[in-house]
Amino acid sequence: MRKIYVSAALLSLLGLADALYLTVEHLTGATVQCTILSGCSEVLSSRYAVVAGFPLAGLGAAAYFTVFSLATLAAFGYRAAGTLLTPLLSAMFIFSLWLIYLQAFVIRQFCQYCLFSAAITSVLLLLIVIGRFVLKPASV
Amino acid sequence: MKRILPFIIILAVLGLALGSAWYLTRSVPSTPTAVGQQASQSPGTQGSPAQQGSVNPGIPGAEPAHSHGPANAPVHLEEFGDFECPPCGLFHPVLKQMEEEFGDKVRVTFREFPLVTIHQHAMAAASAAEAAGLQGKFWEMHNLLYDRQNNWKSQFDVRPVFEGYAKEIGVDVERYKRDLNSDLVAQRIFNDGRRGHSLGVKGTPTVFMNGREVPFDQLLPAEKLRAAIQNELQAAKR
Repeated sequence: MRKIYVSAALLSLLGLADALYLTVEHLTGATVQCTILSGCSEVLSSRYAVVAGFPLAGLGAAAYFTVFSLATLAAFGYRAAGTLLTPLLSAMFIFSLWLIYLQAFVIRQFCQYCLFSAAITSVLLLLIVIGRFVLKPASV
Repeated sequence: MKRILPFIIILAVLGLALGSAWYLTRSVPSTPTAVGQQASQSPGTQGSPAQQGSVNPGIPGAEPAHSHGPANAPVHLEEFGDFECPPCGLFHPVLKQMEEEFGDKVRVTFREFPLVTIHQHAMAAASAAEAAGLQGKFWEMHNLLYDRQNNWKSQFDVRPVFEGYAKEIGVDVERYKRDLNSDLVAQRIFNDGRRGHSLGVKGTPTVFMNGREVPFDQLLPAEKLRAAIQNELQAAKR
């Protein structure tokens, strides 16, 4: 189980870097270049990219940092931290689904960085669910 | 020690994350002072685009190209743009500002690179600009399309909007409407796109300064592009 928490911590660092990059792009006023395959500028300049005046990517970065902290603590034996990971990642996963829906049906453009973040959240949730519920909890 | 180690790791990551964010968001590092510092570096370490890499001339685009500024200007900026692309819209006033600041030291060329896979009106906008160009009003249409990008990009049918622009800039609208679907307009857009592909253009705006691509993060805000142009001018003097 410790390996799972370590993997989750490392994976959340990727998510943190991704979200941090998008936050910086948002804060500096520059938007991501339009590319043949990406609609990032459309997604990031949409009204859905801001929640109560705060960049959504910033919230994502905070969420990934929380996941990293909890996974690290859990890897070092803080059991309560491991318990908190499941609801947090579930919330992040549901939020990612909502963002994918917005990209697909409302903004009608996909942003590769946002999809990458959704993929990381999905893998993280899968890891933790497998670790906590499929593997024997006794080994936690 | 083992009890506090995770907290040390967490604090280290937090510091690294905040430090990176601060470093990347702090005001533009490439101020004129920084340019002077860069200019004093040994060539090849970082320096200006003129000091980096080789030039790929690519295949020719539409001729005559849409250009501003003297042909012998020391700095030639060639932009591959898409009128529906938001960053291109942001870049447009920056480029205009550079033209005003540097005057006849800068020549600007615009190349059509409509990203039709992600922008539904990109081709219509490119055609509108080229059709106006056949009546000598390319830049007028180009400016309107960028200045009012937010007004038309969400419209279902942009044709009447662009016809309104054509009327506003004083082109013969009947001729403009005929030219929109002409082979000449299509060929110009195709030739510019083909040139872009030969130069490895994948997105917009992509800008080449004296034949070398300027990294996207050096285009915005204006201070960064200004510094890059000043660097290029200094390199041209040497």
